[in-house]
Amino acid sequence: MTLFTKDDCVLCEQLKKQFDLSAMEVQVEVLGNNDAGALAHLAWHGLVERARKALPILVLDDSSALHEFGHIESHLLDRAARYGCGVAVRHAGKQAGCESGSCALQ
Amino acid sequence: MGVVMPLNAETAQAKIQRVVNEDSTDIALFVRSSQDDMLGWNRQRIVDALLRETFIDRDTAEKISKDIEVTIQAGKVKTITGPLIREMVNAKLLEMGLEEARRMHTRLGVPLYDVDQLLVQHNKENANVPHGPEATNLTLAEGIKKEYALLHVFTPDVADAHLSGDLHLHDLGFIDRPYCSGQSLEYIKKFGLNLPHALSMAKPAKHAEVLLAHMVKFAASLQSHFAGAIGWDAINLFYAPYLEELDDNGVKQLAQMMIYEFSQQAVARGGQAIFSDVNIYWEVPKHFEDVPAIGPGGEYTGKTYREYEKQAQRFAWALFEVYKEGDAAGRPFFFPKPLVHITEKFFKTDGHMDFLHHICEVASVKGNTYFVFDRGDTAKISECCRLSFKLEASDIEDAKKPWKMRYSALQNITINLPRLAFKAQGDDTKLFQLLTEKLQLAAKAHSQKKKFIERLMSLGKGGPLSLLAMDLDGEPYLKLHKCSFLIGMVGLNELIRVHLGQELHDSDASIKFGLKVIAHMNIVCNKLAESMGMKFVLEQTPAESTAFRFAKLDLAHFNEAAEKVVQGNREKGEVYYSNSTLFNVGATMSPIARVEKEGLFHPLIEAGSITHIWLGEAQPDKEALASFVINVFKYTQNDQIAFSPEFTACLACGKTSRGLSETCPYCESKEVDGITRITGYFTKISSWNKGKLGELHDRYRNIDRFNN
Repeated sequence: MTLFTKDDCVLCEQLKKQFDLSAMEVQVEVLGNNDAGALAHLAWHGLVERARKALPILVLDDSSALHEFGHIESHLLDRAARYGCGVAVRHAGKQAGCESGSCALQ
Repeated sequence: MGVVMPLNAETAQAKIQRVVNEDSTDIALFVRSSQDDMLGWNRQRIVDALLRETFIDRDTAEKISKDIEVTIQAGKVKTITGPLIREMVNAKLLEMGLEEARRMHTRLGVPLYDVDQLLVQHNKENANVPHGPEATNLTLAEGIKKEYALLHVFTPDVADAHLSGDLHLHDLGFIDRPYCSGQSLEYIKKFGLNLPHALSMAKPAKHAEVLLAHMVKFAASLQSHFAGAIGWDAINLFYAPYLEELDDNGVKQLAQMMIYEFSQQAVARGGQAIFSDVNIYWEVPKHFEDVPAIGPGGEYTGKTYREYEKQAQRFAWALFEVYKEGDAAGRPFFFPKPLVHITEKFFKTDGHMDFLHHICEVASVKGNTYFVFDRGDTAKISECCRLSFKLEASDIEDAKKPWKMRYSALQNITINLPRLAFKAQGDDTKLFQLLTEKLQLAAKAHSQKKKFIERLMSLGKGGPLSLLAMDLDGEPYLKLHKCSFLIGMVGLNELIRVHLGQELHDSDASIKFGLKVIAHMNIVCNKLAESMGMKFVLEQTPAESTAFRFAKLDLAHFNEAAEKVVQGNREKGEVYYSNSTLFNVGATMSPIARVEKEGLFHPLIEAGSITHIWLGEAQPDKEALASFVINVFKYTQNDQIAFSPEFTACLACGKTSRGLSETCPYCESKEVDGITRITGYFTKISSWNKGKLGELHDRYRNIDRFNN
């Protein structure tokens, strides 16, 4: 399972703070100007255009992808429960900053 | 210790002095000048030229001229040419170690032997250029401009990289032009045909036929100012306000006129047809829905384009009826290339399935249709062999005044990927470092071409690019600040083969590494764009001759490594690398697998990609192709596809048959020529270069893939 994120993406940061992703065996790929491997991985899943609209994206083990923040969060909550991992509390709703396009691949 | 001279030896200096003293006023020698004149010998002309063209000092120039005079006099010739004197001066400059001065004093020209060959033999660098006097003019002029570009526009490191085959600077023979242009018919609908230096000016057209005449003439003018394709956006929509006066026969007649005008007029440089593309929509694109329509006489009709959907559809349908019929001999039309945009809205527009079947029938019967996939909110204008300009927010704003919509790429540079793998020798870090260096060099070359074009454009309406400087809508026709700078690639498949020992179609690991290479190119382009303030974008280079050139050069300079991976037939010299990110053309893959896997690369290549499906003699059902197109749109990332059938045209009986044959199936004549797509357009196979002939032989034909 892979979570595609970006450094200045507030929703991505929220998920990283909320979940212990490595303990849940979720690989985190940070898209940006320095990691061709992450971008290639995204392209392999056919998600480049999708990421240009919105991040984060969660790719499941069967290669299907979740794009809605609520669905991603819900899926990670289930997984955290299965892995016995704790979950940090977060404030509800979108955070300021996403409107500027920071929660998308440029 | 000094040099010991034989007693009877004359020093060079003494010899010069003696000869000068003997006849320093006039050598009875005539010089054939470059001004079609026979002039008397005058040493001062050498001095003047050296002082005018180089930075050497007067004393050195004087000395060189005297040395040359001595040499010529010693030869006792009666007539000598200006070019020979210049070469002698250049040799002297070299002898004196004045390399920079020699470079500046270079004469550009062509050997007599080469001209003799050119006049007789067909130059096949571009299959769209016929063989004839105009083509010879083109080749000769291109040759000189190429030399000029490599000596004077680009720095030696860039020129050397091109000459050695590290990268390829496309269209060097057109150094004084941008690469290609996409525009709107609205420009001539609004402003008429009002071109700088034209002998007459025409007001905006009042009738559809006149608008067509304006369009063709404007396209011809544009073609002489751009190296590559001339594309037209939403052509059927922008014609629509002129079609209300026409019945269906009239619309069909107009469609026929348009296609014949563009396909028959051998008026562009070198006597070739205008490389033209027409973008076609079944629906009214969202960004044009509320735009006020311009109609006859350049007047607003009082309606928006949303209200012209039916007229636009009538024209689109008629155009494809003409494509389906082909020319008088049943051959496919080569130009204009019809690019149909498949969008989300397409599938919500009435009659779309009938139209899809119609254009798929054309794709099957004649192969003309290009299916351009604009998923989500993407809007773009496509042209050339696969180039597309994605419309950004400012472009969508321009769409409110569509005559302002014009897009250009200034230059195209391709990187030789297999060579990087030869040099990296399996080391990933080295490979990506080399790739970065070549991208940086390409960016440098782009900035040099930009500077050169800026200089020409700064001369304004009195300069050589006056057409591009015209500002009928308040800004120059060529919007330099919005130009793209294309960076392409050749031979990703062979890079992978060298680096991993497998080809792209062999494994997922190969594809993943290939994606990493292209992702790296994408990222470096973005960084360079940010730091240099220029829009560098990746494009799948058509590389009609570059894939051949790189393979030949690598066989010459990296023979041991190259001969293991170069494609084609080495004995016949029909060698090539796979184009861009395309998989091996001969790989046995289902068409959907090829479209899907090649399509994974397309979102990383923002200025355009295509997947070819070679049909051979197969002629699939329109329903099967329509279903295929829908699946490609819905389930893949592929940017654009085209189906390419093959034909045999008989030069004896004039009939056209399906498939490639050695003899005509109707009259058994051996005087036949094949027709199919070379890289992104149809043309006659007899005009193909050797590399493409090798590729044609290797192509995997999807003979039974659709109907069963």
